[in-house]
Amino acid sequence: MIIKSSDQVPRATLLKRFPIPRNFGAAPESRIERGKAWPAADGATRAKTFEIYRYDPDSGENPRLDTFGVDLDDCGPMVLDALIWIKNKVDSTLTFRRSCREGICGSCAMNIDGANWLACTRFISDLAAPATIYPLANLRIIKDLVPDLTHLSAQYAAIEPWLKTKTMEPERERLQSAEERSKIDGYYECILCFCCTSGCPSHWWNGDRFLGPAVLLQAWRWLADSRDEGTGERLDNLEDPFRLYRCHTILNCTRTCPKGLNPGKAIAEIKKMMVERQS
Amino acid sequence: MPSPTTTRPRPLSPNIQIYRPQLTSVLSILNRITGVFLSACAVVLVVWLVAAASGSQAYAAVQAAIGSWIGRIVLFGATFAFFLHFCGGIRHLVWDTVHGFELRSIYISGWTVVAASVVLTVAAWVAGALMGG
Repeated sequence: MIIKSSDQVPRATLLKRFPIPRNFGAAPESRIERGKAWPAADGATRAKTFEIYRYDPDSGENPRLDTFGVDLDDCGPMVLDALIWIKNKVDSTLTFRRSCREGICGSCAMNIDGANWLACTRFISDLAAPATIYPLANLRIIKDLVPDLTHLSAQYAAIEPWLKTKTMEPERERLQSAEERSKIDGYYECILCFCCTSGCPSHWWNGDRFLGPAVLLQAWRWLADSRDEGTGERLDNLEDPFRLYRCHTILNCTRTCPKGLNPGKAIAEIKKMMVERQS
Repeated sequence: MPSPTTTRPRPLSPNIQIYRPQLTSVLSILNRITGVFLSACAVVLVVWLVAAASGSQAYAAVQAAIGSWIGRIVLFGATFAFFLHFCGGIRHLVWDTVHGFELRSIYISGWTVVAASVVLTVAAWVAGALMGG
């Protein structure tokens, strides 16, 4: 089917996941084991089953997949509501990040039914039965659904995401025309939830050196800014077989962005700018 | 006693094991697989050419292998792989000009590549049969 915007949930998918064993290639400490089951109460009329990735660093045990029954008549409409419901009513140790509950803070990014999205902007009614919830893919897990974002933050810092100027400081604000300002539309809105980077196969295999879509979109946001005067050094910094060119235009990033942005296009713009400055 | 967190590495959350196959990722990996497969087919092509140059007996042996059932299935696969890789390559060329990046365009061009590859493969084999293959 044709997907028109990233928030569209596919009606039917041929495969829910790639046909490989569940713990394929996983290191011993990352292997996921069968966990506990917490069925819905007998009185629940509309019960929905959630399979949720759990990891307790203090237990010394491997990650596991717990099953929770959620009474939808007692719970809000979003996936985040279900997680809060479970934490309040079933297992208070369930750990996840959340803040704004309206898709602007990027805290509750996680892998929902096999694709990365924000738990607060995904309807429970859009989920498969049973629904599966994992933390963002391919990250070191601190606890349950909380990944360690240290490396991704360091990659973000590496592109120096601030305005760089060389000319004399003006007496007042650096002005932009409306047209110049529109060049960063679709890029400045990024909330750094890292759904795209965590969904990028190139970043899975080469994430130590490849910057990933979220950070490269930010890199383009500064390259496209008419007030920024660091274009040359920014491009020098990106001109590397791994940092930029490990992007093979798979475009899982554009498919998964919860803000409907286009990291794939931003990266193509950088590659084009890189070629144009050589000619 | 050291705490378990310091002695035990943090687990890596699953990636390929759980991420949903999408047209984007599936076509990308198919482009990679067909590329590898076509490289192997290039070796077969060289073997066929060398056999043709070395004499009728060698040529007849290679021709018999390619004309066998297994040979024909591989050849059909190679035709499809060629067209999928070819059409996918054109899609990538267009992307290099920063066109066709809207999600809708990505999906339309993706399904077009799949459909065109099927049509071109069938057309190539029909043309081959009509030309007396």
